[in-house]
Amino acid sequence: MIEIEHLSKRYGDNIVVDDVSFTIGEGEIAVVVGTSGAGKSTLLRMINRLVAPSAGRVLIDGQDTTTIPEDELRHRIGYVIQGYGLFPHRTVAENIATVPRLLGWDKKRIATRVEELLDLFQLDPGEFARKFPHQLSGGQQQRVGVARALAAKPALLLMDEPFGSLDPVIRGKAQDDLLAIQRRLGTTIVLVTHDMNEAFHLGDRIAVMDQARLLQYAKPADLLTHPAEAFVEQLVGTAERPFRLLSLMTVQDAMEPGHADGEPITVSATLRDALAQLIWRGRPVLPVADASGAPIGRISVDGILKHGRPLA
Amino acid sequence: MSVRAVILRAAALLLLVAFVTAPQLFAFAFAPLTANNAPAIYNQGSLLALTLSHLRIVALATLASTVLAVALGIFVTRPKGREFLPLSRSLVNIGQTFPPIAVLAIAVPLVGFGEKPTFIALFLYGLLPIFENTLAGLTGVSPRTLEAAKGMGMNARQRLWQVELPLALPVILAGIRLSVIISLGTATIGSTVAAKGLGEVIIAGLQSNNVAFILQGGLVVALLAVLIHDGLGLVERAAARRLGRPLDGTA
Ligand SMILES: Nc1ncnc2c1ncn2[C@@H]1O[C@H](COP(=O)(O)OP(=O)(O)OP(=O)(O)O)[C@@H](O)[C@H]1O
Ligand SMILES: [Mg+2]
Repeated sequence: MIEIEHLSKRYGDNIVVDDVSFTIGEGEIAVVVGTSGAGKSTLLRMINRLVAPSAGRVLIDGQDTTTIPEDELRHRIGYVIQGYGLFPHRTVAENIATVPRLLGWDKKRIATRVEELLDLFQLDPGEFARKFPHQLSGGQQQRVGVARALAAKPALLLMDEPFGSLDPVIRGKAQDDLLAIQRRLGTTIVLVTHDMNEAFHLGDRIAVMDQARLLQYAKPADLLTHPAEAFVEQLVGTAERPFRLLSLMTVQDAMEPGHADGEPITVSATLRDALAQLIWRGRPVLPVADASGAPIGRISVDGILKHGRPLA
Repeated sequence: MSVRAVILRAAALLLLVAFVTAPQLFAFAFAPLTANNAPAIYNQGSLLALTLSHLRIVALATLASTVLAVALGIFVTRPKGREFLPLSRSLVNIGQTFPPIAVLAIAVPLVGFGEKPTFIALFLYGLLPIFENTLAGLTGVSPRTLEAAKGMGMNARQRLWQVELPLALPVILAGIRLSVIISLGTATIGSTVAAKGLGEVIIAGLQSNNVAFILQGGLVVALLAVLIHDGLGLVERAAARRLGRPLDGTA
């Protein structure tokens, strides 16, 4: 668990992070969004002490981070930045091995770990281990950057616009991969992004920052239904709200008993995807099937639409 | 490297070795340049011995320049040493702008004749290219790479040795190469203060008005410079390749 308590940073008279407090639960993904210059990166970099706070403190599992030597703290926290910051003079394998090497792991253990990570990120070790960063595509570099950050099995991962320079298709895939890996390893993640779709896709909770202040820290659905300020409402996109809300719920949430004809929709699909199917196939109602394909109910356009607004 | 370039280099090397070990073989070529039955080939000592001591003093002086210039370059790019950057730069610049011949004139009364004053002149003269290239190499490392290094828990020393110096190495090597080439030529003036070197051949030619001698001294220095320039260029390229990028690629 990460507790951020009254964290502030000022440069001269300029306050760039102003009394920010929030808590990130074990294994959760907290996404920090906000306009450019809001102080998101500064906030993130105070967690691993790349920036020294002017006031406030950060606790990791109850321990004040200032009581841990700086380098030791950073060995325990994975860090991914936009552009990935891969070492251009080191191969993919050497890049990934950075922190284990700093920690003095033995060669065999490092080699095993590197191979494991390359497999996890779907990079064939035979092909990629000995390549240099400049020989990789942006998407591959991105994966190496995350693999490197995870090498020493940190319980906490900080990511500053990790997908910023990827094209939309690769970006979507990278997000899904990250989610899958995160669910598997149970890593706690703090991720900074400009992209609201990314925030809603990845975040268990979203922190909205503007002009150094934390405006709201809430679950994605709450951000939509109960925005704390006009700025939050504007940021999440007034026109997008119903669709974002639907994308946060699954067919399970709006399923009705009964029967319908046609190709079934799976129960784990999001309501947004289900609505898209209904519209595209020109049907007011379709059957719902469980993972094995057995029919378990039906879903209707009206039933979905009711979920696209705050419950009265 | 193309086949032609390899052949040219091999030929130059062969010519150099043949000339310094058996200069008499080339007497026919230099004879037309002499008058009054003067000797066509330098005859006041072994060309090979002079070449070797010429190389030796250049190597020693460059080594010393490299140690000081790189150390200074590292120091003034650390947070603690940053305030000394302007001062170091001026000092190193003075070393370069002060004419080596003047350095000799000042050094001889202090350290006597021979290799020492020459060493001092070459050492001072060679600092600037290495220092400036060390600075360029170290400050040219991308801030993002450094941020990543720091964020992963490398301490200052680990960042220097594992990230900054390896990335700056090709640029530093280019500075050393420049310095060596300048020193090879400049070392000839050492002979005015009795340092053993190829300058002796040239001076002997000037004193006896023998163009053949002057040309021989110049020729050997020039061949050395070309070959060493080339050789060090290969080393730089190999270093850059080992650092994962072609020399012409974006750093
Ligand atoms: N070292 C520094 N010295 C002075 N001001 C700084 C420093 N670092 C950041 N700032 C200022 O702090 C403010 C917040 O910067 P920060 O990088 O945290 O913003 P951000 O929310 O990450 O922006 P972006 O979305 O553009 O990355 C900016 O106005 C920036 O100019
Ligand atoms: Mg930022």
